[in-house]
Amino acid sequence: MDHRPQAWGRPRDDVYGAYDHSYFQNTGPRQATQAPIVTGTSVIAIKYKDGVVMAADNLASYGSLARFPDVKRLRVFLDSSVIGFSGDVSDMQFLDRHLTELSIDEAYEDPSSDNKGHLNAANLHKYLQKFLYKRRNDFDPLWNQLLIAGFDGDAKPYLASVDLRGTSFTSPSLATGFGSALAQPIMRRYAATEEDAAKLTREQAVEVVKECMKVLYYRDARSLDRYSIAVVTKEGVELKEDEQLEKQSWAFAERIKGYGTQTV
Amino acid sequence: MTSIGTGYDLANSIFSPDGRNFQVEYAVKAVENGSTSIGIRCKDGIVLAAEKVITSKLLKQGANKRIATVDRHLGIVYSGMIPDGRHFVDRARDEARGWRDNWKTPITTKDLASRMGGYMQAYTLYQSVRPFGITAIIGGYDSELETPVDGEVGSGPSVGAGGKVAGKKHGGPFLYMVEPSGLYWGYYGAATGKGRQAAKAELEKLDLSSDGESSLTLEQAVKEAARIIYVAHDDNKDKEFELEMTWISGADGPTKGRHMEVPEALRKEAEKYAERMTAKDVEEEEETKDSGDKMEE
Amino acid sequence: MFRNNYDNDSVTFSPQGRIFQVEYAAEAVKQGSVVVGIASKTHAVLVAIKRNAEELSSYQKKLFPIDEHVGIAIAGLTSDARVLSNFMKQQCLGHRLTYGRNMPVRTLVDMIGSKAQINTQHYGKRPYGVGLLVAGVDDHGPHLFEFQPSGMTEEMVAFAIGARSQMARTYLEKNLEAFADCGREELIRHGLKALKESLVQDRELTIDNTSVAIVGVEKQEDGTTKPQPFKVYDGQDVSAWIESVADNAEAAPAAAEGDGMDVDS
Repeated sequence: MDHRPQAWGRPRDDVYGAYDHSYFQNTGPRQATQAPIVTGTSVIAIKYKDGVVMAADNLASYGSLARFPDVKRLRVFLDSSVIGFSGDVSDMQFLDRHLTELSIDEAYEDPSSDNKGHLNAANLHKYLQKFLYKRRNDFDPLWNQLLIAGFDGDAKPYLASVDLRGTSFTSPSLATGFGSALAQPIMRRYAATEEDAAKLTREQAVEVVKECMKVLYYRDARSLDRYSIAVVTKEGVELKEDEQLEKQSWAFAERIKGYGTQTV
Repeated sequence: MTSIGTGYDLANSIFSPDGRNFQVEYAVKAVENGSTSIGIRCKDGIVLAAEKVITSKLLKQGANKRIATVDRHLGIVYSGMIPDGRHFVDRARDEARGWRDNWKTPITTKDLASRMGGYMQAYTLYQSVRPFGITAIIGGYDSELETPVDGEVGSGPSVGAGGKVAGKKHGGPFLYMVEPSGLYWGYYGAATGKGRQAAKAELEKLDLSSDGESSLTLEQAVKEAARIIYVAHDDNKDKEFELEMTWISGADGPTKGRHMEVPEALRKEAEKYAERMTAKDVEEEEETKDSGDKMEE
Repeated sequence: MFRNNYDNDSVTFSPQGRIFQVEYAAEAVKQGSVVVGIASKTHAVLVAIKRNAEELSSYQKKLFPIDEHVGIAIAGLTSDARVLSNFMKQQCLGHRLTYGRNMPVRTLVDMIGSKAQINTQHYGKRPYGVGLLVAGVDDHGPHLFEFQPSGMTEEMVAFAIGARSQMARTYLEKNLEAFADCGREELIRHGLKALKESLVQDRELTIDNTSVAIVGVEKQEDGTTKPQPFKVYDGQDVSAWIESVADNAEAAPAAAEGDGMDVDS
């Protein structure tokens, strides 16, 4: 008996002739991701003495339309690492589901609740880097840049980036998108080297990140004033998903010359 | 009950003249030789327990777990051939993952039981395989909350259609037991393995199905599960055993909807309770024996 | 030994619910020479007796590294052991390349357990005729696992498999309490003493027939732990250990060196 799908409900071959396989499109033009559609903007993160702070705003833009203002772009993995996604939101969802499956599988292998044997941020970063590089080689990339924050195998704070090409690097402070031009210089004033980052306190790190989020809202045309912020420590992840930018001052706008009806 | 299957019992999938598949019946014998396992469904959760007979002093205590997690909210315990049990759990995990990939939501207990019943039954259809030598108890707590769809971003429109039907009660604890033939039923209390008769008798005495005041709570069920395993262990009296227990509660209960091992403090409490209750039974027996002697004088 | 209608293949249950082919495969394990494994809080050790087919032939290796952090001891059909160990090596390497870490030992052992169980449920396949002791280290410390042809895998504190291994297991049960706190050298000595229990009357441990392997974590002066990769010792490297458990060595360790040989001239 022919159990294959092409034979389901099919009358017999000796009566109606053999199946016409030309309906199976195995060759011919194939479409793969060529441009991101619904996107998230920058993600920023900075290491400090006891962990890492990461933030991203809650906006998913549809080109220049601020389409979805309640999108959470920071995801927690196994209660011990945080991944921030920028770029295409559907690819972010795909990766999120994939990582959920990975975390369920990890929990099978080591059901103890102390997370000791589980994948840490360094392992996760390596895995994602290989995953994204593989997709790049298939000319079908996942159009994102991710920041992964947590701890490595030696229990030291870990922060790394990986993008749609599989390019990866680590640094005491990182940012994606506009953040790499606008926020990194600010963060680097406080955490230029690993030694400087190791001196920062939690309050200082959170201050710096909040300051950068404000600057990004002033200058990035595809950003929002509501954001999520996560602090990763040895005890786990504290995630606040509905923060509002504080103490904004748009007074600088008056000094911008050459736009609209301004003639001076 | 036993009958000779001569000639019709050498190969799987062969019917005997009275319509039986003897290889499946022999598989059931393998289950009956295994150590006991039980499951309890009470109004606010599930408890699964296993009697792990210690076959060697050299085993590392607490390291060989028999109750497995599937997805996050389901647990499986089995009696019989342990390697077959692990195969069963691997398949259950694949089923749960496939369901999640498809529907972007965790599998319900009844759907997993249905899949696993079908899988076990498939191994009774062909001569080229043999039936599973296990009976598995599947317990799960289907979430009552409006859990987000996998990979969900944002919270959707605040007006208009969408989401679950208001006022309808969803989810809750469910318990199923699957046999080597693929047959399965839903239970409030289930037991399998060597001590299943004694365990079933005890389970029937418990109040599990009503919603009222006297119906067991999850903590009470944990203590009763320990006691029932101790009672069932009587059939294996000459060997030592390790008790393994897991539980699943609702989202506002102690496990927050996840299947996990009963915390050590509660397990120790339950074991003390079990020891006390079973010792009391022994004392009562001895008292009646003494009075018997006196009468003979 | 058994000879009945129900022992032809592994897809047949006997009327008592047993699968004889799997039980026969366990007999193949008992034909192999004895191997012993012990795990402490800091190390896992494997020791083995190697056999030679004839006096002039080489001795069959029994201990094999799988990855930096895990290795196995085999007893039974060596070719089946090779298939399983190649599989384990591939899994470990793939895991290391994907995640950048040591593969958790339990996950690895569960994989070969599943692999072996399939062979006990499908027609045309036969169970693996080899038993393994798997010793490895991960984030939770050192571990020792036993693998059986049925696909059953269990974590042990100490164990022995192979010919006359019951004698070794008796020794291990007697000294069970001592193992957890043993240091490296003591653990190896216990392993060799257990091994000696299983030797035939006129045989003894020699540098040709004894193999030792050890893996673990060592505490450094600054309080951190450094992993000690899985390493196998053969030949001359084991002579010191063999001597430390020689029968006269325990009675008078100092005198053994001083006295020399009282030979009649």
